[in-house]
Amino acid sequence: MDINLIQAQIEADLSNANSPQALEELRIKYLGRKGLIAELTGSIPALAAEQRGSFGKEVNALKNRLLNLLNEKEKSLAGDSLKPGNADVDIGMPGIAPELGTVHPITRIIGEISTVFNHMGFCVLEGPEVETEHNNFTGLNIPLEHPSRDAFDTFYLKNYTNFLLRSHTSPVQVRTMKKHKPPLAIVVPGRVYRPDAVDASHLFMFHQIEGFLVDENVRFSDLKGILSFFLKSVFSSDIKMRFRPHFFPFTEPSAEVDISCLICKGKGCSACGRKGWLEILGAGMIHPNVFKQVDYDPKKYTGFAFGMGIERIAMLKYGINDIRLFFENDLRFLKQF
Amino acid sequence: MKVTYNWLKEFLNIKISPKELAEKLTMAGLEVVSLEEAGRDFVFEIEITSNRPDWLSILGVAREIGAVTGEKLKAAVFKEPKIKAKEINPVKISILDKKDCSFYSARLICGVKVGPSPLWLKERLELLGCRSVNNIVDITNYILFELGHPLHAFDLDLLAGKEIVVRRAKAGEKMVTLDNQPRLLGNDILIIADKDRPQAIAGIMGGKDTEVTFKTRNILLESAVFNPVLVRRARQRLGLQSESAYRFERGVNLETAKAASLAAQELICNLASGKPCGYKCPSSPKISGAMINLEPAYVNRMLGTDIPALKIKKILSGLGFDLKMQSKNRLVVGVPGFRQDVKLPIDLAEEVARIYGYSEIAQTLPAIKPNVNIGGKRDIVPQIKNVLVGLGLHEAITYSLVDRDLLKKSGIKPDAQSVEILNPLSKEQEVLRPTLLPSLIRCLAYNLDQQQEYVNIFEIANVFSYGKGASGNPVSQGAIRPGSVDESLSLSIALCGMHSFLTRQGLIRDEVTILHLKGILEGLFNKLGIRDYDFRAQGERGVSIIVNQQEIGIMLNLNKKVLDAFDIKNKQVILAEINLGKISAFVNIDNKFSGLPKYPAITRDISFVVKGDISIKDLLTVITGKGLPLLRSAEVVDYYQGKQIPEGCKGLTVSCVYRADDRTLTEEEISLLHNSICSLLEERFSIKLR
Repeated sequence: MDINLIQAQIEADLSNANSPQALEELRIKYLGRKGLIAELTGSIPALAAEQRGSFGKEVNALKNRLLNLLNEKEKSLAGDSLKPGNADVDIGMPGIAPELGTVHPITRIIGEISTVFNHMGFCVLEGPEVETEHNNFTGLNIPLEHPSRDAFDTFYLKNYTNFLLRSHTSPVQVRTMKKHKPPLAIVVPGRVYRPDAVDASHLFMFHQIEGFLVDENVRFSDLKGILSFFLKSVFSSDIKMRFRPHFFPFTEPSAEVDISCLICKGKGCSACGRKGWLEILGAGMIHPNVFKQVDYDPKKYTGFAFGMGIERIAMLKYGINDIRLFFENDLRFLKQF
Repeated sequence: MKVTYNWLKEFLNIKISPKELAEKLTMAGLEVVSLEEAGRDFVFEIEITSNRPDWLSILGVAREIGAVTGEKLKAAVFKEPKIKAKEINPVKISILDKKDCSFYSARLICGVKVGPSPLWLKERLELLGCRSVNNIVDITNYILFELGHPLHAFDLDLLAGKEIVVRRAKAGEKMVTLDNQPRLLGNDILIIADKDRPQAIAGIMGGKDTEVTFKTRNILLESAVFNPVLVRRARQRLGLQSESAYRFERGVNLETAKAASLAAQELICNLASGKPCGYKCPSSPKISGAMINLEPAYVNRMLGTDIPALKIKKILSGLGFDLKMQSKNRLVVGVPGFRQDVKLPIDLAEEVARIYGYSEIAQTLPAIKPNVNIGGKRDIVPQIKNVLVGLGLHEAITYSLVDRDLLKKSGIKPDAQSVEILNPLSKEQEVLRPTLLPSLIRCLAYNLDQQQEYVNIFEIANVFSYGKGASGNPVSQGAIRPGSVDESLSLSIALCGMHSFLTRQGLIRDEVTILHLKGILEGLFNKLGIRDYDFRAQGERGVSIIVNQQEIGIMLNLNKKVLDAFDIKNKQVILAEINLGKISAFVNIDNKFSGLPKYPAITRDISFVVKGDISIKDLLTVITGKGLPLLRSAEVVDYYQGKQIPEGCKGLTVSCVYRADDRTLTEEEISLLHNSICSLLEERFSIKLR
């Protein structure tokens, strides 16, 4: 038999084989137990002794060549098999992977906000939820029996005078300033509590994030700059920001900060009460009386502080219209984040 | 508070539209929350911050508009009328404590004709949401809204002994207020009494007995300054809010008290044909307005602005401040009586900023100097959340306050250690939770109700308990606690249901068991670099989780009683709770790299049958003990119980990996070791190799 002829035949067969099935048929035809190569090998003992060696080598070479060709063809066919309609896998089938969990949207927003402030050089700190009357109120220039307390309905502990559940994250300002000297650049996320009946926009527990910067020569204009960068980072670079004078006992001057409505872009819609603005946070320069309480010299140091409700930001960002959803923990809600 | 456009215009020229005015007021700190057209007038509803009682009047708002627009205020001047000596009626006034009432004045107006108010007066009051009563009462209300000072008119002839006594109520004293409610008074309530009994609650509401009615002929018009804290306490004690109390609590001032009294008298004389017939004011406190030194440079330094000194001066005088003395670098600012909120230079800086306009102040970025010693440590909480989310769990956030019933339902006995809330609004705010588990069980049950097949949630939050008292013993219930509240961070996981997922072999439905939870915790510990952990069955209590020989948490399979309480049927609920404070010391995420092996490892499996009550952990301990140091790991790779295995036994396959650091192991070496392990197992646990 002419090895060269056989080889030409093999090459022709292979080039016509266009599917893994066809290739498998060829493999059986040539390399199977009753295939051509086996037949050739089986014919060796019948040859003349001097021919056996060279013929054997030729058959071996043919077999190796055939194996190579089959492998190559197999690879090229495998390459084709991802083409739709030409695959043994229906790519319309669901992918196979372990299921991922989710962090709570509140955690996500806290993470996002903290990251923005981290980039600017602020550290993240937390404080206890059970607080002293002093840290929650008097240390923040909110005197006893004063109307300014009315904004802070507070849960008190039974049998435990002067202790309460913090009604805002600001006590951490007092704690931190008592412990450390300026410069300070801190953000504080956490749970806060206020006695309130639960409805679509009120809860007795919610989250705030507080920030403050204390150093020499911190100015009101710095507060504007930092908050503008922050709000643009979290919402969108094209939002507008506006500072409105307001009153907080622990800051002077104080401001409420609005952003242009995310839905109507400031034209006025039902989401913003036709105002075009959404109230987003409270801020101001830390009151000298707060500094005095922690033995900082208000002549030397100045600083600003700001605070905001996390749920409100999450509701605006994700278009959530009922605050109770955050604490119901319906998996159909959680899995969306 | 409400003000109207036309009423404001009586105090100054307003050249801008109501809408523009609303915008300007908002940007000056008087947030206009609504603006409505009402007939030929406009009503502004303004949210007044608690520091600005002076804004609780038409005059106050007008003054602010003047400062913003530059228009001059038209202030009315009232003169004390001269009363002929023979027309003076006698009246006795005594103030028992000057600290409770620093100023009290009584004007007697005789021969008044009480009747309906003229239309204009009625309309004005109605626009502000105030019901018209009669001309006298309406006039006192009109002055309250216009000047911001609350007044009260008594029927003079009904005051026993024609006498006014400002005193604390005696315990048990009673009176009926103008709203027809009987009120029980006490020593912390300041009252206006006549010779015999209380006739008004100071600063809050008058009494029914001396009410001005259509029969009234002579009145006593009160204008006073009461202690704000007393008014606040009485208002809270009696649950009695009024326009008057609102203003007294925030602070009224002497000058306005005097002006309001005169203004009201004049109106009463004009509209109800009364005649002044006496004025009594036991003593008027001397007031010296505060003086503040202000450097314009300070204002600019605080604000980051460059406002000229002249502009600062103009803004402050526009607001009614008295700029007494000036040099180039210093202003001496006299604070008017109606601005008791202004005490420090920073308060003046705010006034300048408000009128100059917050929006005119530039945005700058400060140089921030981060302090690495504060909060610089990497917090483990985000890491834990990442691992658990990677393992497919969903983070829940539940309320830290719970109702006692929820704890009971979950099988937790409320004890002296639980931290209770003094003033909950509802049952669900009773107790600060000592554990996260009940909240997670409830959340899980809720999701099962929503037809979720598989619930896998976790929460990381604080749990609370009373700390130990000084003696080290828990403080007895009811006593004031000297210790502190222990607040520690806890991780809780809850799993339930059938986890189904698609594989090449089709859908696999896997019911979660405690081993799934164990797997999650092992994954977490490994990721946190915690090496020494163990899980020990504790019978009824569940499984205790041990890290570095210390119990740091528990795993449990919820018992039937609790499952029934939450109405969970035919399902296993698996829970874990871990005290994160206790593990944080053992977290090591800064581990050193260990070199990659240079020589190949060889794996040998042992398949065997062993008695069912023999613990896999014990088997593995023996295997590793014997195999060290060449045996690198021994893991259970298969487990079966069933037909091929004798009853009461289990079939196991343990995969042993052998490797040396300095050479390739030979077949002989491994066989020798592997066989000796097998023999040891046969000897110790009577295993049967398969």
